[in-house]
Amino acid sequence: MSKTLIEKIWDSHTVVDEGNGRSLLYVDRHLVHEVTSPQAFDGLRANKRKVRRTDLTFATMDHNVPTSNRSLPIVDQTSAMQVKALEKNCKEFGIELFDMNSPNQGIVHVIGPELGITLPGTTIVCGDSHTSTHGAFGALAFGIGTSDVEHVLATQCIWMEKPKTFEIRVEGKRKNPHTITAKDIILSIIRRIGTAGGTGTAFEYRGEAISDLSMEQRMTICNMSIEGGARAGLIAPDKKTFDYLRGRRYVPENYDKLVEYWEENLKTDSNARFDKSFTLHVDDIAPQVSWGTNPAMTVDVTGKVPFPDEYAKGNIEEEKAATKALQYMGLKPGTLVTEIELDRVFIGSCTNSRLEDLTEAAKVVKGKKVSSKIRAMIVPGSQHVKKQAEELSLDKIFKDAGFEWRESGCSMCLGMNPDILAAGERCASTSNRNFEGRQGAGGRTHLVSPVMAAAAAIEGHFVDVRELDLN
Amino acid sequence: MKGSVIKYERDNIDTDVILPGPYLKIHDYNELAKHAMEGIDKDFHKKVKPGDFIVAGRNFGCGSSREHAPIALSYSGIKAVIAISFARIFYRNAVDGAFLLPIEVEEDTYRDISEGDQLEIDTSKNEIRNLTKNKTYKMKPFPELIGKIIAAGGLFNYKA
Repeated sequence: MSKTLIEKIWDSHTVVDEGNGRSLLYVDRHLVHEVTSPQAFDGLRANKRKVRRTDLTFATMDHNVPTSNRSLPIVDQTSAMQVKALEKNCKEFGIELFDMNSPNQGIVHVIGPELGITLPGTTIVCGDSHTSTHGAFGALAFGIGTSDVEHVLATQCIWMEKPKTFEIRVEGKRKNPHTITAKDIILSIIRRIGTAGGTGTAFEYRGEAISDLSMEQRMTICNMSIEGGARAGLIAPDKKTFDYLRGRRYVPENYDKLVEYWEENLKTDSNARFDKSFTLHVDDIAPQVSWGTNPAMTVDVTGKVPFPDEYAKGNIEEEKAATKALQYMGLKPGTLVTEIELDRVFIGSCTNSRLEDLTEAAKVVKGKKVSSKIRAMIVPGSQHVKKQAEELSLDKIFKDAGFEWRESGCSMCLGMNPDILAAGERCASTSNRNFEGRQGAGGRTHLVSPVMAAAAAIEGHFVDVRELDLN
Repeated sequence: MKGSVIKYERDNIDTDVILPGPYLKIHDYNELAKHAMEGIDKDFHKKVKPGDFIVAGRNFGCGSSREHAPIALSYSGIKAVIAISFARIFYRNAVDGAFLLPIEVEEDTYRDISEGDQLEIDTSKNEIRNLTKNKTYKMKPFPELIGKIIAAGGLFNYKA
């Protein structure tokens, strides 16, 4: 029978099939961080259970760690306790930990691929919704909650309902891939299918425009699958995938043999059928800017903040949501996006904090100065990204322009560490969620690509990066 | 189970507003409960009573995988969330730890239920009775896996 890649990975990991979509799946890689794991370890201790596969479990601290000077103790006591708890738990249960002082530390979804922990054809789970990122390598990767984290620690398996398959075709050629980025592609998709468009499904991104993307760009796309309602989103691996992973630290020794197997097996059969399908043509898409309080509330940079009735197209709930969103965001309908004035710029997060993101942003920034009204920060996704960027002197470009150059972590994406917006502050952010209060109570988030964020930092408002000479 | 309704007439109530990020550092569930729904309703912890139900629109619980969200609602006293649809991680988290019942209903049902209505939920018949309005609604049956985890009293009691 013809199968999609999602079904192939699902079937090859099924330990028990109870029928009606009820399956016990084997988990190849389990990534753990400090925020969603403490209760899981407490549960193991209370029931005198061990971690079943310490060799398949990797931990780091990313969500609440400060991004300022790492040689100083963590000031916030509750954060310090969570970090200490992870250290203690990893030691007690025998799990490899990339702690705050490790050269491998970073955002869990940045370091997994970077260290070669993420592999094609595997199942990956983590107590974080953006685990879908790892799908860029042809892995079936799900975000899970703390009870499931405990279950996987104890059994290396997870009970799951089989997702429906949703083909997202991305066709055509972008006019300039330096200005129309992966972020603009995924925001364009979510804008069209909606935040719940993928509920109960896993995405497979396919088509010419997906093949054209680098691995880092593919991670940006898969990362935001959850923002379209899907728990997982993947891309069939190809030469770019295999080349990216070759030689990385945790990649198995028989790598070339594995590549042969992956090339043969990890693709959707030509006559396989998806439960749903959607196509985006990228030839004419513009840089995207979110104006509201969910990632589907997005317009072209050349557009205007919409009127609620125009946005809702007759849907009363949507109209009410848009009205509330505009009120929260402090925006007037009809305002040109390029006239929206900003207070902060954040370049970072598991969506856009990799070397390529920083390289592209640096091209915009080089030789210029951050607007005097703006506080701008760059938070590299990992210590490796930071080091590589410094080797390329990107840090110098950013610092000379007036950006803060910080240590790696989730930082202002979710406002758990000291990097937060004050109430009413408006931020151009390369992160993934513009929910109310996400970056700090009362903070206003506009989701954009790294080049859009960089250009906004210079000008103090949004600008159409297609007008800059970027290549 | 019987209780009264706290209604939010909106879609996409995300886990960042159900339990804002800064509180993810809190380990004590009763402390977490004090901040439930704080992102959109600062008075929630004052008005919620044990046994209450939340009624909301589409895609309830979207966003972050934080189990702290259903935990905070559960320790506030919420026994069920009745919504047109749920984001899947929240849906699963709600039942894994037996925190609360995530109940899906038709849009008409969502519209018909008002703030303060007394409801009685009967999962054995997939029915919700509105005692205030003297009406009965259908709830969507749980998918098999979810139903069995609920029946077992949570993930760790569930055996295939």
